[in-house]
Amino acid sequence: MGGARGAPVPQRTAVGQTPDAPDPRDDQRRPSASRPAAQRRWRSSSAPLSIGLTAPVLVLVALVSVVPIVYATRLSLFETQFMNIGEFIGLDNFRQALGTSAARADILRTLVYVSVSLVVAVPLGLALALMLNLPFRFRAAFRAVIFLPWVVSQTVAALLWKWLLNPDYGPLPLGSFDPFADSVMAMGALILANVWISYPLAAMLFLAALQTVPGELLEAAEVDGAGKLRRLVSVILPTIKSTVLIVTIMLTLFFFNMVTLVYTLTAGGPHSATQTLSLQAFRESFQFFHLGLGAAYSIVLFGFNILFGAAYVRVLRSEK
Amino acid sequence: MTMANSATARGNTTMARRTAADRPRGRPRGSTSRWVYVGLAAASVLALTPILWAVSTSLKPESLVINADPTWIPTNLTFENYRIVLNESMFPRYVLNTFLVAVAAVLFTLVCALPAAYAASRLPFRGQRAMLFCILTTTMIPGIAILVPTYYLAVTTGLYDTFVILVIVYAAWQVPSSVWVLRGFVDSVPVDIEEAARIDGCSRIGAFLRVLMPILRPGIGGAFILAFVNIWNDFLIASTMVSTDERRLVSVGLYQYLSDTGVIWGQLTAAVVVTLLPIIVLFTVLSRYLTAGLAAGATKG
Repeated sequence: MGGARGAPVPQRTAVGQTPDAPDPRDDQRRPSASRPAAQRRWRSSSAPLSIGLTAPVLVLVALVSVVPIVYATRLSLFETQFMNIGEFIGLDNFRQALGTSAARADILRTLVYVSVSLVVAVPLGLALALMLNLPFRFRAAFRAVIFLPWVVSQTVAALLWKWLLNPDYGPLPLGSFDPFADSVMAMGALILANVWISYPLAAMLFLAALQTVPGELLEAAEVDGAGKLRRLVSVILPTIKSTVLIVTIMLTLFFFNMVTLVYTLTAGGPHSATQTLSLQAFRESFQFFHLGLGAAYSIVLFGFNILFGAAYVRVLRSEK
Repeated sequence: MTMANSATARGNTTMARRTAADRPRGRPRGSTSRWVYVGLAAASVLALTPILWAVSTSLKPESLVINADPTWIPTNLTFENYRIVLNESMFPRYVLNTFLVAVAAVLFTLVCALPAAYAASRLPFRGQRAMLFCILTTTMIPGIAILVPTYYLAVTTGLYDTFVILVIVYAAWQVPSSVWVLRGFVDSVPVDIEEAARIDGCSRIGAFLRVLMPILRPGIGGAFILAFVNIWNDFLIASTMVSTDERRLVSVGLYQYLSDTGVIWGQLTAAVVVTLLPIIVLFTVLSRYLTAGLAAGATKG
């Protein structure tokens, strides 16, 4: 493999035919002697080396994401009893995960949870980013404080909000009204805690994107008499449009897949008023050990992810 | 004002533009800025209230915590809760475990992601876009879907209940987005710099290590903190892959404590504060890299 560097194309192919060339250290063994061909080399077919450098990522992702999801799909088609896989039952698990009225209620609740959280978190993140992008005093301090909930884990966020909204010993004037005992308020509290941990990432991403909006463009718009709102709608939003979509995708997936916050804050209660698909998948698998049914729920969830992900990607493509 | 003056000096036509351009800088002292401050103050209150309430609780003796008439500022301060959490509970161990696992997992992630990001940016080939897209698509797989299969994997490989499996699973979880962020960074570095280094006799890996890596430091910092925070905050993987108390991670420890009967809120909130402190320090130290990392990774389609 030693001289592969010098003569570009043919020997590259030779390298490529050695299937196990994933090691980046290959480079060390190659002499750096042949300087004149440097530029040509740079542009020569780089597939083998490129794939080699990507190989660790591919192996990791295949082993811990692709193989497991294939396995989960298989699992969802079988009858299971604790850790034992029984008979092939086709789509029976899916009939239970999609067909029953309880399942449809789960799906509806999940959609409410995801969409309300999105409708609050995305505009809130954008508004905060717009404010934090202005020049003012103590900007760094405000940024640090406002982004703080991002580092709080879902477990801790659940604890914090549970304790803050405690009807007996909490500091808020709830008058011994327990929000977690009321089905609507429990969902409200869950969404509040969810927005609280997720708006900072949205705001950070928006802030990063806002810094790419050309200042001259804003000045020109202002000279042309565009007011604040006009500048936001006609200049800022179009420039950061792809970020808005990316944030929406990220948060949508995050909310759909969220188990920990729901599990630790409300555990689906009261009376499954905050039961989401992801929580159901978790409980079927880990509480009731219905692994097949749990897998079916998580595949349904995966389906929703793909559906929404693909829809956004299409929007992103068509807008470009 | 000085700017307006200098603009006048340059003549009438420039002046008109100058004053207009000046306005956003000049006006924040007026009514607009007051609203911005109000908004930011409100957001800060929202961000801090739950945390401050926990801090307040953690400094109170139990008699003040279980009080129908709660106060924000403890009438008599005590560090008893912290003493118990630090000396008599497993929490320091959990924090240490989490720290070790998170650092190892992030380093593993970066060691895998950096060459891949380099390849994605510098060594294009047919089908690469599709390959990268496939890698990114795996982030759509719900964590809950792969939990049971990964558990089987851990048991069959004999890695169940070890830090090794945690590191592997965490790295696999974080690697796609790290590749994405780092690729954005490599893209933003002109290829000429490396070419120059290579013409000067650097090997490809030499150019990568000695020229590109130092420039990429902010990107690596950004990818580091993004992955670290996600791993530090994970609950599901940690609770599935490890069962021994000595190897427990901090979020599982907290949940365990909560689900035990008879929560002592003073101690629990002290434990929460203890787990929050390291990550807040890290966040503050690395936050400038974070914005840069996000800008490179996420603002590109």
